[in-house]
This record gives sequence, C-alpha cells and structure tokens, in this order.
Amino acid sequence: MRHFLKSRKCRMISSVMYPVLFGVIIFVLWETQILHSIMNTSTDVLPVPSKIASVIGENITKLMGNLWITTVPTLIGLAVGSALGYAVAVIASIFTKWGGGGITLVSCFNAVPIVALAPIFNNLCKHVSTDIGTRGMAAKALVVMMLCMASMSINAFRGLTELPPFSTDMMKSYASSKRVTFVKLRLPNSVPYIFTALRVSVPISVISALVSEYFIDTREGSATFCPGLGRMIRDTILKCQYSAAWSYIAIACLLGITLFVVLMIFESVMLKNRQKQ
Amino acid sequence: MRKKHKFPPKWLVTSVWIIGFLLLWEFGAFLVENNPKIQNPEYILPHMWQIFASFFDTNLTTATQTPFQVVLEACGATLSRAGIGFLIGLSAGFILALLMNLSHIVEKVAFPYLMLIQVIPILGLAPIILALTGDIGISRMVIAAILTFYPVSANTLAGFKSVSTEQKQLMFNYAAKIPVTYWKLMFPTCIPYFFTGLKTAAPMAITASILVDTLQGDGGLGCALSQSLKHNTTIYVFWEIVIAAAAVGIFSFYLMGMIENMVSPLQRINRKLKRGDKG
Repeated sequence: MRHFLKSRKCRMISSVMYPVLFGVIIFVLWETQILHSIMNTSTDVLPVPSKIASVIGENITKLMGNLWITTVPTLIGLAVGSALGYAVAVIASIFTKWGGGGITLVSCFNAVPIVALAPIFNNLCKHVSTDIGTRGMAAKALVVMMLCMASMSINAFRGLTELPPFSTDMMKSYASSKRVTFVKLRLPNSVPYIFTALRVSVPISVISALVSEYFIDTREGSATFCPGLGRMIRDTILKCQYSAAWSYIAIACLLGITLFVVLMIFESVMLKNRQKQ
Repeated sequence: MRKKHKFPPKWLVTSVWIIGFLLLWEFGAFLVENNPKIQNPEYILPHMWQIFASFFDTNLTTATQTPFQVVLEACGATLSRAGIGFLIGLSAGFILALLMNLSHIVEKVAFPYLMLIQVIPILGLAPIILALTGDIGISRMVIAAILTFYPVSANTLAGFKSVSTEQKQLMFNYAAKIPVTYWKLMFPTCIPYFFTGLKTAAPMAITASILVDTLQGDGGLGCALSQSLKHNTTIYVFWEIVIAAAAVGIFSFYLMGMIENMVSPLQRINRKLKRGDKG
C-alpha cells in the first residue's frame, strides 16, 4: 500500500482527482443552491447549471449564430496580427539598432486599454461598409489584430535576437551569410517565443473581441441581427434575462478554453523534438 | 581606453520613432479630413495638435468643467478604484502562491483552476459580475482583483520554484525553520518574479476599472468615455481619455518597475557596486 502511494501512477491519478473533486463540490453546491446562500444571491441572477444547460439547448441556433460572429473576426485578427507582428519583429531584428526602439514603442501600445482602442476602431470602420455586420466584424478583427501584433512582435523580437551564447560567433566562423544565419539560427530559435506570444494573445483576442462588441452601434441592425457573444451578454443582462446571459457566458468561456486547448495541442506537437534534445 | 559612444544613442532612436508615429497619425488625419464622404473627421481621427489644444480648452463642456478637468477628475477616480482592487488581488495572489508552495494538495487543486481563470474572458463577464454583486464599486474591485490575481500568483509560484535545491539544502543544514527559510531565501528570490506579475497586472487592473465604469454612470474614465461617445460632451473628451488611459496604463507599468528598484535586494547590491566603482 505504501509502495503504491509513492508510485508515479498514484501521483498522476491524484493530480487529476483533486481538481476534479473540487469542481464536483462546487458544482453540487451550485446545483443545490447552497452557493446562492453563501454568495447572498437568488436563482434569478445565478441560475443552477441544469437550467443554463436547458436554455442553451433551447436557443442553440441563435447561440451558434452569435458564436460564429465572434469567432470569425477573432481568428482572422489573431492570424493576421500574429503574422504581421512576426514580420515586424523580423524587420526589427535585421536593423537591430533602430528596430529595438520600434519594439519599445509597440510595447507602449500594448499598455493602451482595450476599452480605449475598441471605440477608435469602431469609428474608423464606420465608412468601410454599408452592412452593419461587416462593419462590426472589421472593427473587431482590427482591434484583435493590433493586440496580437504587439505581443507577437515583442516576443518574436526577443526570440530572434536573444540567441544562445557564442552561436553568432560560430556562424561567423563558418563564414555563413546573414541569410543562412537567419534561416538556420534565428528562425528556429524564435519558435518557442512564438508560442509564448500566442499563449498571451489567444485569451486576449477572445477578450478584446467580446469587449469590442460593447461599442458597436446596433441601432441599424434588424431583429434577426447577431451582434456577437459579448454584446449579447451585455444586452440580455440589461433586459434582466439572466439565464440567457449565462448561456452566452458559458459559450464564451467554452470558446476561450477551446482555442487555448487547440493551441496547447499544436504547441506540444511543434515543440516535441525540441524537448527530447 | 575610453568607451566609444554608441551610435545612434537610445534617446535618439526613441524620439525618432515617436516623431515617426506622430507623422503617420497626422498623415492619417489629413486623409480623413480631406475625404468628402466623412462628415465629422474629429470623430474618426482628429489631428494630434487638435487633441493637445483641447487640453488647454477653457470652454465648459459640462455644467461646471472644461474637458481637461473632466478627464483629470475621472482619471483620479479610476486610479484609486483600480488601486484597491489591485491590492486585494495582489495579496490574494501572493497568499495562494505561498499556500501552493507549502502544500502539494493545495497546488494540485488550485493550479488547473488558475489556468482556467487565465483562459476565461473575465472582462467579457463584467456585466454579470455587476448583476451578481449588485454594486458597481464592489464589482469593479472584484474584476480588478481577479485580473491581478492570476499573473501575480502564477509568477510568484514560478519564483518559489526557481530556488535551487542546493540553497534549500543549505538552509536545511543550518536547521532553519520554515518561516526563516522563507524570509531569508524564498522571498528575496521570488521578488523579481513577483514584480513581473505586478507589471502585467497593473495595466490590466486599470483596464478593468475603466471597462466597469462604462457599464453604469458613477464617474471614472469609462463613464466620461461613454458620455462623450453619446455626444453629451465634446468628442475631444474621448480623445483625451484615450491618451490619458494609455498614459495611465504605461505609468502603472513603470511605477511597478520603480518600486521593484527600491525594494529588490538584487538592485540594492547593484547600486552599491556602482557606487563602489566610482569611489
């Protein structure tokens, strides 16, 4: 028995068991409404999980429509922003002396709150299209793009310039050209940094897409118009439809978690050979 | 041999970049201004000088205040509220990291949920937290605290883990008690990590405070921002707020760096060495 308790298998099981147990306890407290008496709220504001699940089941088409509206610009912004950020980092790493200053400026942009960025881009996109849906998507994608670009360029610049000691000297002694040094040394060195950046920017892109929706002018929208998950969370709460709001929250959380899990799987595949070395 | 001065010096690089950015902005503003399709260019992208001029605008935009006074007052409200939430989140995060390092069970239970907090879009949940707590002041603190909590506790834990086994063994050989070990070894080691967490968290706490302001009217930058977007005050209040929010965010980041310089033992030794070199 003692041997079993110290074994690796037992440790693995316990590291899964403890959090699951904690989750189950919270779930039971929530479902039996003990959580409500602790937090001093009613089931109107905080519906039990089974109620939320049934609301999700009823409104599934509307939820999926809004999920689509939020997910598409998030992913576009994430992809375009990260690619642009990497390009900026590459240019900055070629001209290190001047590029470093540019990266400092970009990192200052990173400190600008999303709340201030979102209305700027909503105003900018007012003349992009006559269709309100396209306009909202463009504004969201731009906000997400800005934030992803910032975090990617900062991290990738570090990956491209902070090389292992003496590695540049070695490349010089091989008389390798700048291009070869870039392809064989800098590029591979930056790969883990790309994932560091993505780990930050994936949750931020979801958050900024949700927040950006708060500032969309929906007055022109028709009755069936889908403004996106974040806007729906806000609107349903203003109308005091709390169970509907919780269903949108659940979907938004699922979106964040799914994107992060996909990133983790991708990362473990990409960096597999690296960890073995 | 005298050390060669680096060219270009750092201040020159930074100022060239800032001037470049301002030129780009002005170019954009020029395009927007001369586009016949756009009726109100100051809503899309005003000139930088127009925004700066509005800082010194003496015309009243509300009943009693000029635009700059509105922004200044809102700034103070936002900062103080964000500060309270930040302090709560900071202490809670540090205590959790400490507990996680002391007990394996706590670590196993809490760590997955800590990851979950990072992935869940907390800012998007601001309205429901307002509905749950029922009070805008409390919900502002709760959201700022949750956002501060994750980076602080994750980084502090990483700091505790970075203490090398040899150092711990040395403390064990001295028969040092756990509190002494923490005070003399663990806390000093984790200070740089702790401040990395604070530097991430401080702008986030301010963002949270501004966002919650937009949900309900109660002063603060976010409130003034939504007022100006609804045309209740001049639109320059909005642009001033954008600049003020950015400045406050960057300021909070540098403030944490300054505090780190003051308290960190490593920096203290560095300063001493520098002075020793000169003398």
